[in-house]
Amino acid sequence: MTSVEMGMVVPRRRMSTGFVLGSALLSALASLALAGPFLPLADPAAQDLLRTLRPPSAAHWLGTDHLGRDVFSRIVHGAARSLGIAALCVVLAGGLGLLLGLVAAMGGRLTHALIMRFADLVLAFPGLLLALLLAGFLGGGIIPLMIGIKLTLWPQFARMASATAKVTLGEAHVEAARLAGLSNLHILRRHLLPPVLRNTVSLMTLGIGSAIMSISSLGFLGLGLQPPTPEWGAMISELLPYVTEAPIQMAAPCLLIMASVLGFTLVGEAFSARLSGMRA
Amino acid sequence: MTDPRVERRRREGRLGAKGRHEAGMSVFARLIAGRIGQAVAVAFVLATLCFAFVQALPGDTALRVAAARVGEDRLTPEITERIRREEGLDQPLHVQYGRWIAQLATGNLGASMATRKPVASELAYHAGHTLGLGLLGWLLSYVIALPLGFAAGLKPGAFVDRFTQGAAITLSSTPAFLIGILLISVFALSLRWLPPAGYRTTAHMILPAVTLALGLAATSVRVIRNAVVDVRAAFFMTFAEIRGLSSGGAFRLHGVRNAALPVVVFMALQVGYVVDGFVVIETLFNYPGLGDLLVKSLLARDVPMIMGAGILIGLMYAAANLIADIVCVWLDPRQRLGSRQ
Repeated sequence: MTSVEMGMVVPRRRMSTGFVLGSALLSALASLALAGPFLPLADPAAQDLLRTLRPPSAAHWLGTDHLGRDVFSRIVHGAARSLGIAALCVVLAGGLGLLLGLVAAMGGRLTHALIMRFADLVLAFPGLLLALLLAGFLGGGIIPLMIGIKLTLWPQFARMASATAKVTLGEAHVEAARLAGLSNLHILRRHLLPPVLRNTVSLMTLGIGSAIMSISSLGFLGLGLQPPTPEWGAMISELLPYVTEAPIQMAAPCLLIMASVLGFTLVGEAFSARLSGMRA
Repeated sequence: MTDPRVERRRREGRLGAKGRHEAGMSVFARLIAGRIGQAVAVAFVLATLCFAFVQALPGDTALRVAAARVGEDRLTPEITERIRREEGLDQPLHVQYGRWIAQLATGNLGASMATRKPVASELAYHAGHTLGLGLLGWLLSYVIALPLGFAAGLKPGAFVDRFTQGAAITLSSTPAFLIGILLISVFALSLRWLPPAGYRTTAHMILPAVTLALGLAATSVRVIRNAVVDVRAAFFMTFAEIRGLSSGGAFRLHGVRNAALPVVVFMALQVGYVVDGFVVIETLFNYPGLGDLLVKSLLARDVPMIMGAGILIGLMYAAANLIADIVCVWLDPRQRLGSRQ
């Protein structure tokens, strides 16, 4: 759907290698995450202290961790969690950012200044710091994690939306629409939203990648989702002391994090390259 | 409305840079004032947020502090009450907030709730380690990124370019702790060339610095490459060659300075990555920097320490942005003429 939408912006052309590779990675991960709950997998939390740190076998495809839990089952359950939370955060942050950005662009000078200065202030904090403080203070868990990541993501959407809308508002066809007596709502729907939404697609795709990185980093630090939950970053941090005995169990969540972030980055960059109509 | 001073100010605004110079405000002064304002705002917001978070925490703060100080098993109600009085936790909220801000404004960051050591001295110790690691990693990243970025930008589409782009996109999709774990498993656990973690010798700094540098270089190499490509395609370069300069000479005279601009702007943005990076990297390598301190204090809920570390990191970020602003104005005379808007 999106590629058709993109196709309207610039003449359709061959899909780039990055886009193909990225979408292949993402489809594989998405099917893993979606099918996960229906697969006949071991309970990701079931411990078996007699069979810890076992190498891969028919029963445990990727071996067992230091508490005898099935690593394959844990990374599959982790996939749904990481990808789901990241996507939800980005959609919420994107929605909030778009709303505030459009209000800033269409509202008066004071509204614009207030919203944009607030965005500047949030951007004045280094990325992970806010999420870290929130997650740390409110205790690990999904809600603080999501608030923290959402908080760091929305300003870029607001900036993009307001900048795009400002440019569009100054264009002749919008002027014409206004002179023809069309309402603000009509202008918003027919003239402002299309270009703003087009720019949002690539920003959101890239944003999901960075949200996955933040979620796993917080998990690794022990400040994200808490250990019994199968989360990739927390799994890595738990397995770190056993890296020499269990390299495969360790490598599995690492590779999944890389694959998912890489997938979103490649697809997001392909979108933005298409939008700007330059480098592939 | 008819106030002549308002009129004059409006005219000066319209006159642009010249008017502003007459008003006695140079570009540098405005930059510095803006960034100091930002730094103060960051500190104030962090202080308020920290205060709000502490109040929002479930459970009794005095009890938590007491438990951290004497240990869970030796905790008595008397100790808890004494700490409540000593730390002023029995006062009404607005009194506590006022005291909190007033104390900060005088530069007094208080003492750690857990260890009772003054926050400022702990911060100074850890900040030194972080600055060392950050600078080393940052320099190292340009040792990697500058030659690669130039080579890629001079021949877009060639092997070096494609290799660099591929490596850069893979590395920038890898969280810093994964790069670190990979380096530890190769160079410390398998090859045994370097110590895996700790901070006693210079050798201990190599792996964390390389981890930071790789993450930084992954993004900066693309910025450098694109800056070089853009500048080489610029009209003033063609003109310089028409004037009879060799392409190398034209690049030295006109290219480097123009290509440096986006790179310098980017360096400031990178400080954000450095902060994200060192928090994770220091924890992974058990390196006693600000990030490690922040994470440990967060896990221990040591509020004065969290706030001190948070504010210091925020201020360092603002300072780095200021330096980048100044370097940009210095590199680009156009900005001094006030044509920035």
